[in-house]
Amino acid sequence: MVTLAFDTATDVATSALVGDGEVLGERVSPPRALFEDVDALLRDAGLEPADLDALVVGTGPGSFTGTRIGLAAARGLALALDLRVAGVSTLDALAAARPDAFPVVDARRGEVFVAGPRAVAPDDLELDPGTVCVGSGAVRYRHTLERLGARVPSDDDPVHVPSARLHAALAGDFGPVDDLLPIYVRAPDARARSGV
Amino acid sequence: MILGIETSCDETAAAVVTDDGNVLSSVVSSQADLHARYGGVVPEIASRRHLELVAPVVREALAEADTSINGVGRVAVTRGPGLVGALLVGLSVAKALAWARRLPLVPVDHLEGHVASLYLEPDPLEPPFLCLLASGGHTLLLAVRERGSSERLGTTLDDAAGEAFDKGARLLGLGYPGGAEIDRLAREGDPHAFPFPVARVPGLDFSFSGLKTALLYAVRDLDEGEVERRRADLAASYQRAIVEALVGRAREAAGRTGLERIAVVGGVAANSGIREALPEARFAPLALCTDNAAMIGSAARFTAALPYPSYLGLDAYASFA
Ligand SMILES: [Zn+2]
Repeated sequence: MVTLAFDTATDVATSALVGDGEVLGERVSPPRALFEDVDALLRDAGLEPADLDALVVGTGPGSFTGTRIGLAAARGLALALDLRVAGVSTLDALAAARPDAFPVVDARRGEVFVAGPRAVAPDDLELDPGTVCVGSGAVRYRHTLERLGARVPSDDDPVHVPSARLHAALAGDFGPVDDLLPIYVRAPDARARSGV
Repeated sequence: MILGIETSCDETAAAVVTDDGNVLSSVVSSQADLHARYGGVVPEIASRRHLELVAPVVREALAEADTSINGVGRVAVTRGPGLVGALLVGLSVAKALAWARRLPLVPVDHLEGHVASLYLEPDPLEPPFLCLLASGGHTLLLAVRERGSSERLGTTLDDAAGEAFDKGARLLGLGYPGGAEIDRLAREGDPHAFPFPVARVPGLDFSFSGLKTALLYAVRDLDEGEVERRRADLAASYQRAIVEALVGRAREAAGRTGLERIAVVGGVAANSGIREALPEARFAPLALCTDNAAMIGSAARFTAALPYPSYLGLDAYASFA
């Protein structure tokens, strides 16, 4: 059983290839390098796309466009290879990095995404003293969170990245790709733009 | 066979086109009613809808063509110009399909796609010709001397022609998209009832913002009952002014370049006013005027295909190069 997992919801694309529970390879890149990473993962493992059995994809919340890149890729792969797909929340993957992790994803506009999922201003978070905040929002709002009593591991600590091997481990039910939808949290900014 | 995918604006589309230009299927799922209440395309709403629709639309296009991904030799996709978030949905799906099957990917320019709507069977047009591309996003005069490329002669300095129709429709209290609504109403009106101006800008460019303002003032000067009574005259006069501007410049460009034939593509090519005003011109097939993927598949026949893996890092672009 070979599983390809990836997450493009935050400011990085993470991907992992897992065969029977063993991590065959992992990569972290800018979101738009997802396909180069996936290609390299399979090449390094000596596998072909047709060898894939399942797909696990991070469903956000995070960047709308970034999340969609991953979910659209999943649609193409599932169509071409007839794969079943499971979605895993980006917050859940971050939370799985360490037992005491409290995921905080940068939501832009001065807010962060946290469990719920919901968008909230970092200043409005109520955190137990010593809470370990992880994720892009934790890095960006380190000073605020530390002032609120939280701990934030150093910026380059891998816990801040939603590692795709964790998505693979957390995957529950696999289903048709059409059921795989992003977790946006926010309603779309409904302003028409003409001249497209 | 070529699988074409188009998600640059508010139509989610997929099509299967043969290498010799026969359209085996062309599926377009329009989001127009989703955007109607905003009077225009809302980028984030469009992108969300593309993601929901793209897989079913691709599946339907393959099924209607009586084929599967196994029968596809190339994947063609719109790379730009358009809404980047929307384009990335189609591009990501196309890359995944091509990568999974080790197929070549053909990145297609949306505007070349519109021109290529003229190259499909059963009545393909041979260059050279002068092409007027008029849609909600673009108003361009192109010299087309060979398939797969074109030279830009003129463009709009402000609103696109289709956008002018949309904005006019809104001022007249009509629905969205505005082109079809104005067209329908214009048939009952007098096109010379209001002397709306045809903008004169240098070169072969267009300008429609003054016309929109003229309509605004005309509507403001009439009382409500009168606007109601004269709505058809307003629509007919407004449409006449847009059509005159387009036709005038297209003929002028044809004269200057020595290109004898004029072709019209894009959503505005469906307008009955312009079809009447340019009886000598070739028009894109009605079903292929608004955005569709058959035209993207068609353009792919005349665009260099990128072999695996050279397309893996390909990005979308928002505006034309
Ligand atoms: Zn278009």
